[in-house]
Amino acid sequence: MADAIRIENLQKRFRLGFIPKTRQILKSITFSVREGETFGYLGPNGAGKTTTIKCLLGLIHPDAGTIEIFGRPHSAPRSRQALGFLPENPYFYDYLTAREFLAFTADLFGLGREVREERIARLLKLVGLERAADLPLRKYSRGMLQRAGLAQALINDPKLVVLDEPLGGMDPLGRKEIRDIIVRFKDEGKTVFFTSHILQDIEMICDRVAIIVGGRIVKEGGLRDLVSEKVLFTEVTVSGLPPETFAGLGESVSSRGDRVLLKVYDEARVDEVVGLIHDRKGRLISLSPRTETLEDIFVDTVTRT
Amino acid sequence: MKPPLFVTRKERPNRTTAKTGSATVLLVLFLLAAGAAVVTLKGVTDRAVRTKLPGASIIYIPSGKFLKFATFGYRSLAADAIYLWAIQYYSTPTIDDRFDHLDHVFAIVNELDPRYQDPYEVGALIAVEGARDVLSSSRGRDRGDYARSLIQAAFTILDRGDANNPDQWVYTFNAGHVALMTLKDFALAEKYFERCMKIPGAPEFVERLRANAIFNKGDLKTSWETWLDIYNRAPDERTRRIASNHLYNVKATTDGTALEGEATKYRERYGRFPADLGTLVRTGFIREVPKDLDGKDYLYDPATGKVKTVISPWRR
Amino acid sequence: MKIGAIAGITFKEAKRDRILYLLFFFAAVGIVASRVLAVLTVGDRIKIIKDVGLASISIFGILMAILIGTGLVYKEIDKKTIYTLLAKPLHRAEFILGKFLGLVLTLFVMTAAMTVIFLAIVYAHTLKVETGLLVAVVYIFLELVLITAVAILFSSFSTPILSSLFALGFTLIGHLSWGLELILKKMQPGTGRSLVRALSMILPDLENFNFKTEVVHGLPIPPGIPLSAFFYGVFYTAFILGLAVLIFRRRDFI
Repeated sequence: MADAIRIENLQKRFRLGFIPKTRQILKSITFSVREGETFGYLGPNGAGKTTTIKCLLGLIHPDAGTIEIFGRPHSAPRSRQALGFLPENPYFYDYLTAREFLAFTADLFGLGREVREERIARLLKLVGLERAADLPLRKYSRGMLQRAGLAQALINDPKLVVLDEPLGGMDPLGRKEIRDIIVRFKDEGKTVFFTSHILQDIEMICDRVAIIVGGRIVKEGGLRDLVSEKVLFTEVTVSGLPPETFAGLGESVSSRGDRVLLKVYDEARVDEVVGLIHDRKGRLISLSPRTETLEDIFVDTVTRT
Repeated sequence: MKPPLFVTRKERPNRTTAKTGSATVLLVLFLLAAGAAVVTLKGVTDRAVRTKLPGASIIYIPSGKFLKFATFGYRSLAADAIYLWAIQYYSTPTIDDRFDHLDHVFAIVNELDPRYQDPYEVGALIAVEGARDVLSSSRGRDRGDYARSLIQAAFTILDRGDANNPDQWVYTFNAGHVALMTLKDFALAEKYFERCMKIPGAPEFVERLRANAIFNKGDLKTSWETWLDIYNRAPDERTRRIASNHLYNVKATTDGTALEGEATKYRERYGRFPADLGTLVRTGFIREVPKDLDGKDYLYDPATGKVKTVISPWRR
Repeated sequence: MKIGAIAGITFKEAKRDRILYLLFFFAAVGIVASRVLAVLTVGDRIKIIKDVGLASISIFGILMAILIGTGLVYKEIDKKTIYTLLAKPLHRAEFILGKFLGLVLTLFVMTAAMTVIFLAIVYAHTLKVETGLLVAVVYIFLELVLITAVAILFSSFSTPILSSLFALGFTLIGHLSWGLELILKKMQPGTGRSLVRALSMILPDLENFNFKTEVVHGLPIPPGIPLSAFFYGVFYTAFILGLAVLIFRRRDFI
């Protein structure tokens, strides 16, 4: 299957300030996004996530490197014909209504009138803006603007959807809706490329991720490959027994009243602990193994770089 | 004892609203007072006599050439504005020295819009009226020179109008008029009328004005020839009659001046004027007694030695 | 068409700018007040009315072109609406041209409205519809189109205040550059003269579009000038827009 996005050795430096000081934002970025997959792009603030996206979209001119979208060089406007983009903080023409704005966006793709009308109706329903469709955008709340942004990103039924922090600033219900929509993209065969801080969501929906730190890709791969199923430690909650009972077997995290919370690092010791509880007539409240999460990988990677 | 159902509290006036109320009243009174003062002062300032008019700094602009650049393509509008200002300025009698820079101000207007006709005529008019004012006002010092310079300014403006608009006859016409009536400079008038009559559209009587100027200048011979030419070319009876009257007048003046001169010579020789004109023939002063253009005799008064026509040239 | 779509929303946006209506109001007041002003003159009153009318259309048109034009591109960048716009399959040139056409359309509507009021006031005075005045108005409009292009050029890389100053400077130079011809006549041949000649060729000569005086006095315009002035305007505008596209294409939107 072809690559939806192929970026090779992308470099960009900025000259900022009155006496220009050069900062190399992107030192060398190489990664690919295969068609049909959902790809997460992670990194700490200032790592270059948004800069990468802007280079992809032609908003910024790279100093070096190649960028291809579905095999086409990214500098050609045609490469964006099947692309939809939702920026981090959506800013739209606040004097237009959502309907007018979507119609304008459709015109920019050269969509015919019938297709345009059908899609506008369908998308307004999808994002839940049917009732507010004829209000000017300046009257929209941030959540509504986000939805309008999503609608305009889909107006051309894109094969590739690029989202910059799509889940930021939304309440948990809104985040779930967006997650569901992104999953639906996957079902429809669309390629999704997005950045996010909220690693739990990435873990839930992405196929592959790349971590960018200091302008370089430090980790890239399938989610299942990066995040092992390894158990880091097991949390055991006991009641009715003093903490000293478990000296040497695990680390006592806290004790309140007669409840003790243990962290058992050695998996082998877990059975020992359980046996001990049973022998001493204590009560086992809970037992939960903590596996490695993406957050662990992320923090580990960033602190190590 | 059961407590009453409604407890009325003694009402205290709300001190905050009372303060606000009186503050508003004070503010309104202040506004009225200030407004009245403004209106009164405006009236007082308006009534004050002005020796300067706002915008008079226009006088200090070196030339209209400079202004052509400073107006960035709005030359016509600037010409209008300065012209309107000038009209107000020159209609303000309390500004004593307003005529000092008359030509300069109008030169600026003309430079900005050479085809704007009104300012030339009006400028010249203001100059002539100004000269009249200057002469009639009682001042200690001699204003004759000043008045003359103003008349000169009128000519300068009209000449400029003619130079910029050679197709318009009014400027030479007005100039000739000023030379004729105000200056009584007949040679100058003749020059202007001669130029004027050559411009297409000039009134047909201008050539007659020229002929008359030549007569008043004293060049009787050329005057006769000019009137004769007009007579011969006359397109209608009325013009022919006018020319004929002028020809009569020229001849009468020529003959009368000659006869009176000979009569005076006779008196010098013989101590008294001749008894009649025939005496001058007999004594050899003249060859024959001339008759007027109608063939009639001239009237001679032996007491004064003066010759008159039997009829006024204009009532023939 | 994509340029048309952008022109459409630009028109919608410009229509909402209150400056437009403020300037229009002043222009209308000026034109109507000229009738009162004309009472002060000795002689021909209609000349004052025509001069003030044409000057109003010209001055306020230029102010509209500059004040709105210099904000057009800057606002998109400042308000970040440009991100979603340029992420579309759009040439950057199409964006610039769309903005330009939208503003030209706005100016056309405003100029037409001012002209109607102007002709009405003239009609009230002369009882004639003086279509000859339209020649001057058409070329005033052409000047406005060129100034719009200049405003957009500066707006593509500079803040509104600086852009306004530059655009105003362009306009003022445009009405002074004819003076170079006079300087040329007085100069000796040499490098200085060649330099001044080169300057007089490339600096804008907005006096080419100035037929106000001729039209007010009813004088004939020398043949050939209207046509050559028209194409001068068209090509200079195209040049400025080309510059704007060139600069805009290289911009990074950080």
